Amino acid sequence: MDYSNLRRQAASLKKGLFDQGHLDEQFRQVEDLQDEASPNFVEEVVVVFFKDSGRLISNLEQALEKYPRDFNRWDAYMQQLKGSCSSIGASRMKNECMSFRDNCGQRSVEGCMGSLQKLKREHAILRQKLESYFQVTLEAPPCQSWCHDRWIISINLLTDVCMFTMQLLRQVGPAGAATRPAM
Amino acid sequence: MPRKQLSMLLVESDSWGLKMDVPLRTRFLEMKQNGCESVFPQVILLSLADSDKMKAEYAVDSVITKPLKASTLAACLFQSLGISITQANNEKKHHGPDSLYGLLLGKNILVVDDNKVNLRVAAGTLKKYGAKVECVESGKDALERLQVPHKFDLCLMDIQMPEMDGFEATRQIRAIEAKAHEQRDNADNSDAGSTAKKAQWHLPVLAMTADVIQATHEECTKYGMDGYVSKPFEEKQLFKAVQKFLGPSASS
Repeated sequence: MDYSNLRRQAASLKKGLFDQGHLDEQFRQVEDLQDEASPNFVEEVVVVFFKDSGRLISNLEQALEKYPRDFNRWDAYMQQLKGSCSSIGASRMKNECMSFRDNCGQRSVEGCMGSLQKLKREHAILRQKLESYFQVTLEAPPCQSWCHDRWIISINLLTDVCMFTMQLLRQVGPAGAATRPAM
Repeated sequence: MPRKQLSMLLVESDSWGLKMDVPLRTRFLEMKQNGCESVFPQVILLSLADSDKMKAEYAVDSVITKPLKASTLAACLFQSLGISITQANNEKKHHGPDSLYGLLLGKNILVVDDNKVNLRVAAGTLKKYGAKVECVESGKDALERLQVPHKFDLCLMDIQMPEMDGFEATRQIRAIEAKAHEQRDNADNSDAGSTAKKAQWHLPVLAMTADVIQATHEECTKYGMDGYVSKPFEEKQLFKAVQKFLGPSASS
């Protein structure tokens, strides 16, 4: 299994997410929280995020229909979503949340609708990109592949060691075997 | 066999001694003396016991004790090869009182937020610094957990929550504490001359705010909060806010 290739792919996907502004520094903070005690922390948080954000967007869409011009209510939903986006570093989504809230402040229904559509688009893009990223990292998880590579090195070393020792013993030969220093 | 430069040699201690039939060690030393040192491998001894003089006595570079553990072998090999395996976390761990690790290690913290994502990230962050974290999703649940006596050293409270917001929840926490003081004082009245220390129930409560506008200093103090921090947490700000209550100079 060529882990180095997969790791390169993962690194490239991640770089893209940052370069294109989908994720910001906060995502790195979240990654920092992953360790042996919580080996899947990032993925778990991301799963919770998409479940939560999907629900909030859906609730908001219903509220837009059921409670026309109820900007306070709409704003409250969006505040929740913005909070989630901030927590995981979903930067583009967060910006659309803020834009929506601005439109609520200006009492612009059209503005709100526009922002929501953009938000949904960013949501879908981020989900797709993160799914791709996790797919690749799960195939070559950073920690495991590091350990795997190092163990391959170690096993090769041990094999070489044995062969070297055997070679050395052959060099010493039967003459050496006969010699036994007096104790 | 193709000539490959060998980096390392692991030798079992019994095979290395002078008592064995084949003087492996002698041969090695000869080779070393003959100026092959640049291509000479590191020699690691595998022995039942390790002692300081063993390295010198056996003229080896390192000693690993048997039974062989994978992690020990790995660490020794990496060290010998000059590969550092510093874990990112280890670099940051310093437990002095001037760090978040020093302040939060082992502390019981209650985090209150109706947003599951925020809860996860907040809890994860606090746990990174060694705190024991419990999470609840409402002011009501927080009050249940905070009935006196409770084990918490600190509470981080989201302000914007449906049904009961953070201010109201904190107000009720202080009411619980006041009641507990009252009951305790009444019970102690029979023991007027007692100089026993009276524990003051005051849970440090910090507001977690997304916007600074949400929580001004005045509003926080009005409801009995002790301060506020932004979310997501910013390390320096969190440290400053928490230091007052969990630092070594803070009264327990």
